Amino acid sequence: MECWIRESVRKEVEKVQNRTQTQATLHNLTKRSRLSRNLKKIRRALMQDLVGTMGLVILLLIILMSTLGPIWFPLDEVSDPEKILMAPSAEHFLGTDHLGRDIWAQIVSGGRELLVLAFLTASIAVLIGIFLGAFSALIGGKLDETLVFLADVWLTIPRFPLLVVLSGFFRLSAVALAIVLAILSWAGLFRTIRAEVLSLKTRDFVEVAFMLDMPMVHIIFKEILPNMMGFIAANFTLLMRAAIYAQVGLVFLGLLPLDQNWGVMINVAWNQGVIYNPDSIWFLLAPTIVICLLILSLVWISRSLEEIFNPGLQK
Amino acid sequence: MKTHIARTQSAGHLLSIQDLSISYRTKRGKLQAVYKASFEIGRGESVAIIGESGCGKTTLATSIVNMLPLNASITEGRILFNTRIGKELSLENASEKHLRTIRWSEIVMMFQTSQSSFNPVSRIESQFLDTVRAHNPNSSREMIFEKSRKLLEMVYLDGEKVLSSYPHELSGGMKQRTMIALALLLDPQLVILDEPTTALDLITQKKILELLNSLRSSLGFSMMFITHDLGIVTQLADRVVTMYAGSIVEDAPSKEFFEYQVHPYGKGLLHAVPKLDAAFEELYSIPGTTPDLVEKIEGCLFAPRCPYALDRCTKEVPRLLNIDSKRKVACHVFGKKHDGHKEGTV
Amino acid sequence: MIVRKDFLLFILKKLGKVIFTVWVVTTLIFFLIRLMPSNPIQQYIQNLVVQYGVTYEEASSRASTLFSMDLEASLLSQYLTYMQDAIRLDFGTSFLSPGVEVTSIIAARLPWTLFTVGSGLLLSFIVGTVLGAVAAYRRESWYEPIISGTSSFLSAIPDFLIAIFLILFFGVFTWGGRGSIVPIFQLRGNFSPGVTPGWNMPFISSVLDHAFLPILTYFFSQIGIWVILMKGSTAGCLNADYATIARARGLKPRKILGSYIGRNAMLPIVTEFAMRLGFIIGGSLIIEQLFVYQGVGLELLKATNNRDYPLMQAIFLVMTVAIVLSNLLAEILYGVLDPRIRAKGGRKGAK
Repeated sequence: MECWIRESVRKEVEKVQNRTQTQATLHNLTKRSRLSRNLKKIRRALMQDLVGTMGLVILLLIILMSTLGPIWFPLDEVSDPEKILMAPSAEHFLGTDHLGRDIWAQIVSGGRELLVLAFLTASIAVLIGIFLGAFSALIGGKLDETLVFLADVWLTIPRFPLLVVLSGFFRLSAVALAIVLAILSWAGLFRTIRAEVLSLKTRDFVEVAFMLDMPMVHIIFKEILPNMMGFIAANFTLLMRAAIYAQVGLVFLGLLPLDQNWGVMINVAWNQGVIYNPDSIWFLLAPTIVICLLILSLVWISRSLEEIFNPGLQK
Repeated sequence: MKTHIARTQSAGHLLSIQDLSISYRTKRGKLQAVYKASFEIGRGESVAIIGESGCGKTTLATSIVNMLPLNASITEGRILFNTRIGKELSLENASEKHLRTIRWSEIVMMFQTSQSSFNPVSRIESQFLDTVRAHNPNSSREMIFEKSRKLLEMVYLDGEKVLSSYPHELSGGMKQRTMIALALLLDPQLVILDEPTTALDLITQKKILELLNSLRSSLGFSMMFITHDLGIVTQLADRVVTMYAGSIVEDAPSKEFFEYQVHPYGKGLLHAVPKLDAAFEELYSIPGTTPDLVEKIEGCLFAPRCPYALDRCTKEVPRLLNIDSKRKVACHVFGKKHDGHKEGTV
Repeated sequence: MIVRKDFLLFILKKLGKVIFTVWVVTTLIFFLIRLMPSNPIQQYIQNLVVQYGVTYEEASSRASTLFSMDLEASLLSQYLTYMQDAIRLDFGTSFLSPGVEVTSIIAARLPWTLFTVGSGLLLSFIVGTVLGAVAAYRRESWYEPIISGTSSFLSAIPDFLIAIFLILFFGVFTWGGRGSIVPIFQLRGNFSPGVTPGWNMPFISSVLDHAFLPILTYFFSQIGIWVILMKGSTAGCLNADYATIARARGLKPRKILGSYIGRNAMLPIVTEFAMRLGFIIGGSLIIEQLFVYQGVGLELLKATNNRDYPLMQAIFLVMTVAIVLSNLLAEILYGVLDPRIRAKGGRKGAK
C-alpha cells in the first residue's frame, strides 16, 4: 500500500516537473488550448441544452436592447401633458407615462445601469469571496477559525433590512451600492468557497503543488480555481440576482436616487396609482416583466453552466 | 469445508433457471444482457457465478427476485422456485405483491454491502424488527430480539450492542456481518450474494468466508454468489458457472473446474490469474475486448477472441450441453460428447 | 450515557455562541446608528434653533429630556446605559411618537407580520414538500417537468414582483367587466376601516380578506424552493442503498416511504424550515410597503425615514435575534433527527 501511494505521487511530481521544463512553449500551447477547449465545451453544451440556450438568448437580447436601443429609441425628454397615461398605440408601443413620455423608450434605456451594476456587484463579491475563502481554507489554523466564526455571526444579520437602514442614512450612489452590497455579501460566499477549496485541498494535484513549494497565488489560480469554475459561475449569477433584487427593491422603497432604471419605473408607476388606470398598466407591467425575464435568463444560464462544469450531477 | 447437506425432503432442485433472457432498453438500442441462461441450484448447494464485469451476472441474480432496473425486462425463459411448503413458483412473471412475500423469507438477495446499506436514522434493532414484521406481522418483539441476538452471536458480534447501535457506529466489517445475520433472520432457503468480499480487507475477507461456510453447514441453506475473485470460489463453491457476455459457457463442479477447464474462456480466465512470483511481462490477459451487447452478433460471442475458433463458431450460437454427468459446456470445439466428433484436440 | 452528555455539551456550546452573537449584533447596531450622519437629535436641536430661535443650550437640554439620552456623556457611557437597559428589555421610547415605548410598538406590529409571513411559509412548506416528493417519485410522468419548471421559475422571481403580478391579477384586472376578484380597498391595510378589532366575525373575516394577497405572495415566492429541495432530497434517498435493500427485504412500499425514505429526505428540509423561520421577518419589508400592511417591516421603513433611532435599533435587533434563534433551532433539530450528528457533536462537514 505504501509504495503504491508513493508511486502515484511520484508520477504526478514527474508530470509537473516535465511541464515546468518545457514551460514556455508548452505553457502557451496549453493555455490557448485549455481556453478554446473550455469555450468549445460551453458552446457545445449550450447547443444541447435548450433551457440554457434560451437563457443565453434572452440575456443577449436584453443586453443588445440596453446598449443599442437608446440610440434608436431616445427618451422623451420633454413631458407632454396631452399624452398622459395613454394606452399602447402604434406610435407608443407600450403607451405613455404620467408625464406623457414614451414607455418603450424608458424600457430600452432602463436596463443598462441595472446590468452594469449587477455585474459589478457580482464581480467584486466573487473576488472578495475567493480571496478570503481560498486563503482561509489553505492557510487554516487560527486565522481560519476566526474568519469562520465571524462569518457565522455576520450571516445572522439580515442583509436587506441592513441595506435599507444604510440607504436611509447615506445617500448612496449606484456604484456605492454595488460596492456595499458586495461587501455585505462576503460571508455567504466566503463559506461556500472555503468549503469547496477544503474539499479540493486534499486532492493529489494540490498536495503536489504544495510539495513543490509553489507560491500560494499560483496554487489558487492555476490549480484550484479551474476546478471550481462551475461553482463560481453559479454563485456569480446568484449574486447578480441579489444585486438586481437590492437595486430594484431599494429604488421601489424610494431609498435610492437613481435616474433611469426599471426599478424607478416601477416605483413611479406605483406611486402614480397606475393600478387604478387600466390603460396605462404597461407603465407598471413592462418593467416588471423585463426584470423577470432578466432574472430567469440568469437562472437558466447558471443551471446549464453548472451542468457543463459538473457533468455528474444527478438529474 | 464444502459439504453437501441433503434435505430429507424431495431431492428436486431448489431453483431452476431455464433459457432466461434479459434485455435493457438503452438510448442506443436494445442491450442483450443475458441470453438463454440455464442452470439449477440444488438444496444445500453452493454455486459461484464468475465472469468479467458486465457479463450479466448481477443482472441474472437480481432478476431472480425481480429487482431489475426499470429499463430492464425478462424477454423469455422461466425461473422456477420450490418454496418451503413444496409449491413450485414461476418467479419471472410473479406479481410484486407475491414476490414481496418470497423476498428475504425464502430467497435473500444480498446486494453489495456499503456504507448506506442500513437506514442511517434508525437503530439496527428496528430494522431487524421491520424485516420480520413485514412477513409475520404478529411475531413478538421478544422472540425477534432473541433470534436476532443469537444470529449476531453466530457471526461473532455482540448482539445487545449491535442491536442498540446506529449504523454509523459500526465498522465496515461489522456491517457486513450484521447484514449476514439479517439475511438469515427468516431462515431462507436460498441466499444470493453479490460480491460478498469486495471492499473488505483480506483478514475480514477470510473471516467472512469461514463464517459463510460454517453457517451453511449448520443451517443448510443454498447459496449463489457472484464474484470475479477466483480465490474465494475455491473456498466457498460446490459448483462454478462461468458467464461470458450474457451467456453461460461452462457449468462444472468446482474441484473439477480448477483441475481443468473445457471452455477456452474458462481456460483464459485461469491463465490470467497472476502468480505471486511472476514478473510484469509475464502477466497474461485474454486478447481482445468484450463485445458490445447492443450490436447483434452472429454465432458464439467469444469467437473473436478465441484461439480455437472454427468457421462454424461465427455462424451458430453454441448450446450449453452436457459433456459428462457433471459438467456442461457451450462450445462447438470442445463441447461435444459422443456424437461422432472428436473431443477438442489441441 | 455517553450520548446524552455529548448532546448536552453540543447544546451548551451553541447557546454560548448565540449569546455572543446577539451581544455582538446589539453592539454593532448601536455604534452603526450612532455614528451615522444626520443625527436626529442634532436635527431636532437645529430645528429649534433655526425655526424657533431657541438658544443652543436650551435646545440641547430639551432634546436630551425628550430623547432620554444624555448627549454630554461619551459614546462609551451611552453604550453602557443602552446595554443595561437592553438587558432589562427596555428599549426606550420612540422619537416619532414621544412617550410611546418602543416595545409596545413592536408588540403591536410583530404579530401581524408573523401571521402573514408565517402562514405563507407554512402553507408553501406543506404544499411544496408534497409536490416535491411527487416530482421525485413520478419522475417519468408528464406532469413532473411542469412541476419542476414552474418551481424553478417561481423561485427565481423576486417576491415583490410576484406581489405586483398578484395585485394586477386579483385586484386590478376586471374579469369581463364584473370587477376584480379582490376589491380595491382590500389591497391595503391589515383590516378594513370601520371594523372593531376583537374576536368577532367581521373583524376576523376582514383580517383574512386583507391578508389574502400578502399571504399568497409569500406562498408563491417560497413554494418553488421547497419543491426543488424536497425533490432533490427524495430523489437522493430513492437511489440510496438502504431503500433498495429494504425492498429486497420484502418491506411494504408504505413502510419504505415512511420510515426509510421519508425520514431521511425530510432531514435537510425540516432544518431548512427552522432556519427560514428567522429570515422571514426580514423578508417582509417590501411586501408590507406594497400592501401598506402594518407590520414590523413597514415600521422599520417608517423609522428609518424618520431617523427614529430607538425604534430602528429595536426592530433590527428583533430581526437578528429571530434569525439567531432559528439557526439554533435548526441545529438542535438536526441533532435530534440525525443520530450521526449527535455522535460527532457538531455540524458535519464545512458546509
